[in-house]
Amino acid sequence: MRRALSVAIYVLSTAIGVLAFIYPFFLNTRATGSIGVAHGQDAPLVTAALVGLALVALLVELQGQAISAKTVAMLGVLVAITSVLRFVEVAVPMPGGFSPVFVPIILAGYVFGSRFGFLMGAFTLLVSGLITGGVGPWLPYQMFAAGWVGLTAGWLPHLTHYVSRVPCSVLRVASRTPRSRGALPTEIAILCIFGFVWGLAYGAIINVYFWPFAVGLVAQTWTPGIGLGEILARYAAFYVATSLGWDMVRAVGNVALVLLLGVPTVQALRRFQRRFRFEVRPFHD
Amino acid sequence: MIDVRAWVLWAVTALVVASSTRNPLYLVLLLLVVAVVDKAHAPGHRQRAVLSPLRFAAVAVPLSVLFNGLTAHLGDTVLFRLPTWLPLLSGSVTLEALVFGATNGLTLTAIFSGFVVFNQVTPVRDLVQLTPRAFHEAGVVLSIALTFVPQTTHSLARIREAQAVRGHRIRGLRDWLPIFVPLLVSGLERSMGLAEAMVARGYGAVTDRSQPLRLQALLALGLFLLLGGWLAFLFLPSWKALALGGILVGVALIVGVLWLAGRAVPRTAYRTHRWTARDTLVVLGCGLTLAATLLPLPLVDRTTLAYAPFPRLTLPAFDPLIGLGLLGLLVPVYHATRNTQHATRNTAQ
Repeated sequence: MRRALSVAIYVLSTAIGVLAFIYPFFLNTRATGSIGVAHGQDAPLVTAALVGLALVALLVELQGQAISAKTVAMLGVLVAITSVLRFVEVAVPMPGGFSPVFVPIILAGYVFGSRFGFLMGAFTLLVSGLITGGVGPWLPYQMFAAGWVGLTAGWLPHLTHYVSRVPCSVLRVASRTPRSRGALPTEIAILCIFGFVWGLAYGAIINVYFWPFAVGLVAQTWTPGIGLGEILARYAAFYVATSLGWDMVRAVGNVALVLLLGVPTVQALRRFQRRFRFEVRPFHD
Repeated sequence: MIDVRAWVLWAVTALVVASSTRNPLYLVLLLLVVAVVDKAHAPGHRQRAVLSPLRFAAVAVPLSVLFNGLTAHLGDTVLFRLPTWLPLLSGSVTLEALVFGATNGLTLTAIFSGFVVFNQVTPVRDLVQLTPRAFHEAGVVLSIALTFVPQTTHSLARIREAQAVRGHRIRGLRDWLPIFVPLLVSGLERSMGLAEAMVARGYGAVTDRSQPLRLQALLALGLFLLLGGWLAFLFLPSWKALALGGILVGVALIVGVLWLAGRAVPRTAYRTHRWTARDTLVVLGCGLTLAATLLPLPLVDRTTLAYAPFPRLTLPAFDPLIGLGLLGLLVPVYHATRNTQHATRNTAQ
């Protein structure tokens, strides 16, 4: 029963988060009626409030599952390390959308599981927002999206296990880079692909919440009443025209960082995962 | 010092106003108000300012003008035409599209500026104290992370120095490896020590700390009603009243679960901030601003909030009552001025 309720909370919160991102697509009226003018000006506030509420519900459930002192301490320290990397990124501007924040989130989610990954992603964006002055209406969206990065990274071990059993897999051939040869090649290859995909997907997801309010060419902007196929085609055109180049730098940067840091980081995290297996139990006479 | 909750309301009010209007006159007025508040609270409050609003505006406004001018070929005043062989961009570039792009840039700058002021005047520890009691573990993680950030920065500097002594120089991405791995390992070692210390001090020393089943069920029900009500609101227009009821009950259930979960967590504070009359004044000022921009008050022409330069550029209308309402956000300046006067008097004595 407890497990079923927990799954229901995960699914419902994620569904509300997804709906909050795509809600403006379903607005049927324009605020002013003029062509090229933004639609429904209250929608960003409504969606920010609801995405925040869904995030709150998910955090209550995640932390309600008896987080141990070890998890709390490790999560706090890893969030601090990743937030310092974001601070470096903000202080020293890097090319395009390159950010060193995502790879630690991916690797932590990969090693410690989906729950840890979600918390790591959401808290990293929150703490780095606090220390870099990045608190604003955009923060709940960033926390949710970064949480999803860590959450989905927790599913990768199953995929890695499956792929490693496939003989002569393309992935295994492609993963024979000099640094990863002989150590975790399949995992690194899968993590590279995952980092690349999320490098693009993160930008595409974050864009969605403001795209319906953007103005521009009809072929690139949302209009009430258009079908799902047309929405996707227009959004794809908008994304290619405005964000693809920026996000590609982030995606390639993720791949480079996974190739560079993946093996030592995964090995270090696994070593500490084994060391953290100690358990303190109440003494009974 | 103004209470952090009053500052949260102030920032949300600035966000609501910036999001509710596309009239450049109101946006410029809002930016001026925010700039005055920033200036009044700046001495001694500069905490976390990585990007100034001016620098943000210098990027956001021209980019928005460029993007809108090149992609929105609407309006009567054609400045020049882009050739047809240019994909996605071909067509006429109009004055109206450029003005609307600038207005969008101003909106972004106003939202950003409001939160820059908020980030500068609110200490992180006060923000962490705002965490609801239900998020006890989340609050602990947040506190650990914020406490470890300076230590991690210090560690980073020490590791870089140690590597530099060995002749290591950072020339590219690859050179970060001997810095990142020791940083990670030393951080994890510290977390190990911290976890042992927390366990030794009795953190989590209860047999079952998971959420009661009743609260879990209420949370799931609240989320279900919220999602169901929202979907019904969007796709079943005839069920709108019922859908709104579902949303409200769902939100109430989620908030109720937070409250119930928080009751089980006692919290003590060494020094608590008392709500004072000056905080109430800030709230009243924000209320005035919100009323002028959101409520259908008599004598207030809310249609002036919307502005579109299409099809031909016209001067935006300005309602002085809405302008006066925006001045409600200036209340924190009064407090800052009084604080400065007190400080000057004390120094003179």
